[in-house]
Amino acid sequence: MIQGSSTFIHVGQLHIDYSPSAISTVLGSCVAVCLYDTRLGMGGMNHYLLPFWNGNGLQSPKFGNISIPKLIEMMISKGSHPSRMEAKVFGGASLNVGPLSNTMMIGEKNIMVAKEILHEYKIPIAAQDVGGRNGRKIQFDLERGKILLKYVARSEVEGE
Amino acid sequence: MEECFSCKGEQCENTYSEIEFLSRKILDLNKQLIDSGKAKSRFLSLVANALNNPIAVLLSMIPHLKPQNDLKLETIYALVHEQALTLDFRIQNLVAAAEIENGEVDISYASVDIKDLVDEAIKALRYTIEEKQIRMSVENTVEQKIVGDPQRLYLIFRNLIDNACNYGKEKGNVIITVRENDSRLHISVKNDGEGPKVEYKAQVYTRFAAGPEGAHGLGLGLSIVRDLSELMDGSIDYQTDGTSVTFMVDLPLQTALENSEAFGSNDFFFESFDDAIEL
Repeated sequence: MIQGSSTFIHVGQLHIDYSPSAISTVLGSCVAVCLYDTRLGMGGMNHYLLPFWNGNGLQSPKFGNISIPKLIEMMISKGSHPSRMEAKVFGGASLNVGPLSNTMMIGEKNIMVAKEILHEYKIPIAAQDVGGRNGRKIQFDLERGKILLKYVARSEVEGE
Repeated sequence: MEECFSCKGEQCENTYSEIEFLSRKILDLNKQLIDSGKAKSRFLSLVANALNNPIAVLLSMIPHLKPQNDLKLETIYALVHEQALTLDFRIQNLVAAAEIENGEVDISYASVDIKDLVDEAIKALRYTIEEKQIRMSVENTVEQKIVGDPQRLYLIFRNLIDNACNYGKEKGNVIITVRENDSRLHISVKNDGEGPKVEYKAQVYTRFAAGPEGAHGLGLGLSIVRDLSELMDGSIDYQTDGTSVTFMVDLPLQTALENSEAFGSNDFFFESFDDAIEL
């Protein structure tokens, strides 16, 4: 189990920490991108709600295309480099089962935007667990660079 | 029959790839948008911090200069104090916007007295209220303390009331209502005057957008209120009826005091990761 403290992040937050700390969150259709730099023992996690910022309102990291580049830049500013990062992607479930709800495909788009942006920065995706119908609880152990994942009941995923 | 199913499958796949294609296109277009927005973001966070400290010193010193029995000096003093308060408010907004855009907002929970927050916001606006002879009334039915983020709640009240005073009519009414229902907190601020026209609805919450009748402030206030409300799992909306406009913020009330430490503590996660998958 993890040795250091664990930080819980909510929608629209980013967090970067060092070994032996941990970062955790709970995801529904939201997606969390976890970046890890083995050499520095440093990792970061974001948690975004929607794929795209539409230019309306604040440029907040609750949008994937704001949040992911921001996370990468924050890792860079702390001494890492995209070539040394590996990514893991989680979430993007379709929580509402119904004929119409899937047409929005928020979860799918959230996943897509993560893959697209990571590809652009040439950051390899080392592991992922995305899509499906279940929410996820994840904990990023920065000592080992590993993610602990657990599926959660729909009712436990609040606010998504 | 079988053919029919495979047809449908194919159709589905087509739709799927089309959506993927379109999403990719949005991503491309969005990049241009972000680049132009990024400069604003960076500027915001630089400026916010550089301005915050001096104004805090100014605000704490100004009250010591209050003149006695000199009408002319008192007028000047009031003007200086008013402008300093306005400046402080705008900087607070800049700081908040920078924090939101940097993903640094960590909602913290404390016991909050709504009445104190509203009083403080009104007090900070006393010069504007006096000058425009606004009739301010507060209908607050939440008497006991609630659990919330005092700083963020204050900023929500401050922005809504500031908005009502600045856009409201001279000698008009501003009515602040706070009530609790179904463990949700309903805040509404109503002022006399025409509200934003329907065609500006999208712009109301856009940062740095000038109002249709010319700019008041930076156009940050409502975008901050919306983002802060959403960060607290709440929402904002407004109604107009031609003679008045009402902004409504709706927030869930925390029932137990969950301080941020307990919320993200190890205990919470230790237990539940026993049979987790490791990736």
